[in-house]
Amino acid sequence: MNQPLAGFAPAPVTARMENHGHHMLKVAMQTGNDLFARVGSMVAYEGFVQYEPNPPAVRQIARDWITGEGAPLMKCSGDGLLYLADYGANVVVINLNGDGISVNATNLLAFDAHLSWGVERVKGLAKFAGQGLWNTRISGQGWVALTSRGTPIVVDCGGGEDETYVDPDALVAWSPNLKVKGKRSFKAQSLIGRGSGEAYQMAFSGEGIVVVQPSEDSTDRLRVRG
Amino acid sequence: MAREFQRGHKARISDLTAGTDLYVGVQIAGSGLTFDISCFGLDAEERLSDDRYFVFFNQPKSPEESIQLLGAQAGDTESFRVTLDRIPEGIRKLSFTATLDGAGQMSQVGPGYLRIVAGGEEVARYSFTGAEFSTERAVMLGDIYFKDAWRFAAVGQGFDGGLEALLKNFGGEVLEEEAPAAPEPQPQPGAAPGFAPPAFAPPTETAAPPAPVPAPPPAPAAQGYAPPAADTPPQGFPAPGSTPPQGFTPPGQTPPPAPAAPDVHGAPTVIAPLAPPPGPTGTVPPPAPAPAPYGQPPQQPAYGGQPPQPPYGGQPAAPMPPGYGAQPGAPMPPGYGQIPGQQTASYGVPQGAPQGGAGVGAALQKFKETPTGQRWTQQNKKLMRVDLGIGGQPVLAKQGSMVLYQGKVDFSYKGAGFAGRIVGNATGQEMQLMRCTGQGQVFLAENATYLHPIELQGDAICVSAENVLAFDETLQYEVRRIEGHGIPGGALFTMQFQGTGTIVVKTHGTPVVLPVTPTTFADCNAVVAWSAAAQVIVSSQVRMRRNAYPGDTGESVNLQFRGAPGNFIVVQPYEV
Repeated sequence: MNQPLAGFAPAPVTARMENHGHHMLKVAMQTGNDLFARVGSMVAYEGFVQYEPNPPAVRQIARDWITGEGAPLMKCSGDGLLYLADYGANVVVINLNGDGISVNATNLLAFDAHLSWGVERVKGLAKFAGQGLWNTRISGQGWVALTSRGTPIVVDCGGGEDETYVDPDALVAWSPNLKVKGKRSFKAQSLIGRGSGEAYQMAFSGEGIVVVQPSEDSTDRLRVRG
Repeated sequence: MAREFQRGHKARISDLTAGTDLYVGVQIAGSGLTFDISCFGLDAEERLSDDRYFVFFNQPKSPEESIQLLGAQAGDTESFRVTLDRIPEGIRKLSFTATLDGAGQMSQVGPGYLRIVAGGEEVARYSFTGAEFSTERAVMLGDIYFKDAWRFAAVGQGFDGGLEALLKNFGGEVLEEEAPAAPEPQPQPGAAPGFAPPAFAPPTETAAPPAPVPAPPPAPAAQGYAPPAADTPPQGFPAPGSTPPQGFTPPGQTPPPAPAAPDVHGAPTVIAPLAPPPGPTGTVPPPAPAPAPYGQPPQQPAYGGQPPQPPYGGQPAAPMPPGYGAQPGAPMPPGYGQIPGQQTASYGVPQGAPQGGAGVGAALQKFKETPTGQRWTQQNKKLMRVDLGIGGQPVLAKQGSMVLYQGKVDFSYKGAGFAGRIVGNATGQEMQLMRCTGQGQVFLAENATYLHPIELQGDAICVSAENVLAFDETLQYEVRRIEGHGIPGGALFTMQFQGTGTIVVKTHGTPVVLPVTPTTFADCNAVVAWSAAAQVIVSSQVRMRRNAYPGDTGESVNLQFRGAPGNFIVVQPYEV
């Protein structure tokens, strides 16, 4: 009966985090090597895995999350295999290996608890009152899993004189050493209802990469605070 | 993912794959039939001017080896290797043909295909069945031809006369020498299978996975769960150290007796079965499929005979990376036990880098943008890049569809004009467009819908306005009216694009492209596009009695398409 399904059995573990298909993440959990994951992203697990919603370490920073990065985290610990997914979004697994990456909270699925991470306000952006882009910056030795609506594309900024402009709604992650600034492309005529639909972009310059998804999330990245 | 071709479809090879080293596989079979599958290298006049480019079983390669016959493999009846950039100037078209050897006719053929594999991935497939043919004895399956760039076309055209007719079609002077040779069922030269160059074996990767892969189940069981059943047959619970002589040792005990691997990171007990370390081979757990857990064929050769090499980065001392493998000598039935005294490492989670290196750059390598010097480049199924610098003309795109751009690009409002707005409002075929001008690359996507670039060369296509993502400004477009009875509102409207340029159509989900036959129907809500030469007829099934009561089928307005062969319609799995 389940012959056609046999192809979907999990492959044996070869790494801490792996893709199972394009849309599911498989994490090999281990005592002493905890994991932060987006709340509600667990779809299955094997073994003994415990979930702590909003653990103390996170509560400290919870205020920061509330300020704009609205994705609450849970801490997962134990031994076993943990399967995570986020409404069918593509999952991208990254082994940081000392690098850093700056991720939109909505695109963050899971990361190793021992990584250093923090919520930061994107510099050079949001000069106007009440708005700002808050991002999660993660670095260290370990694994991070991102989600992306559709297969993402990675663009090398190349450090040339040309800046790379990104629609904030489609932005997933970027190298933290890139310079960011905002760019408004609308003109006076946009104010009378004839905009090109692309009112605001983020400009990246420097050496590094930008990860973009082929979808413009409805969740507002440039959210109003307070 | 393979793109499905229908008879008459064409595509640029660079749109299918960035590679030029192609594997062309043909599968064709029928009960009691034998086939000769050959490749004709034709010149610009479609003549076989140089018979050294008639690649078949008697002549398995062209002089400079740009076309090679590989023989049957990986489910294909016959296969070729084509290296596009080595094909000489004189050869402008490669025609892949199948001819019947002996009695029979093409209508007896079962389902078959012609496929192109590049870079280990099947990129194009043209499937056919015998029902498409009748009494033909030869068929031209597909062409790889040069027109501005190398392109692929699914032909599927039959010839009554068999190989002789084919040869005559391609310039008859070869007939005298070659035709007699063809009918004899001569076995392929022994070299045929051997022609597969070692570095070029995509079919085995795609169609037939390498041996280790199909057997993952036994390996984790042996390594990881260490069920009692696995341990007991050899020796029950042997004293540590006494295990080496017999093959199946509990994993937890293997490292000590493995003197060949002083470096614990080598973890050769797992990797080794492929190429056992030179030392006491008996200590190595012998389950043959053991490499399967690591299921990464490309890496395996690297391990051969190099025990000290850290396989996956820092594997801890516990030699059982496969997740659960933490059994000490005492196998616990549930399988989640841990080695006493080794709790931290017990799960043996490999913490090291995955294949292909570590770091953000390496992890994202597969999502890199694909560089080609073309105006429209599909980055992946859902992202399109247009290089405004090539061609120089502006692009009209749906408002808000830009996700990223590099260079100096200006986005401005594109109005439909007064008349256009009236028409748009009245018909619902309204596009909110922006004009992208300047120099640079613009990446377009919307809502993770699938994008399909369609290149128009003077022909026309009808697309529903809401399925248009972007198009070259050189294309003319107008609203077309489909009349029919029984449609609410009196008529259906669609957008017709005409001219020379590219239009990007988006679909929700993978669409189906159907050839237009005498009986082709589509739901008017799901049809996305059709070639404008096809005639559209509304076939509504309005039955008052049915519609008045619950239990209506809900399929009231269908479109029927009629047209000459070569027309097609595109239907998405999503009803707007």
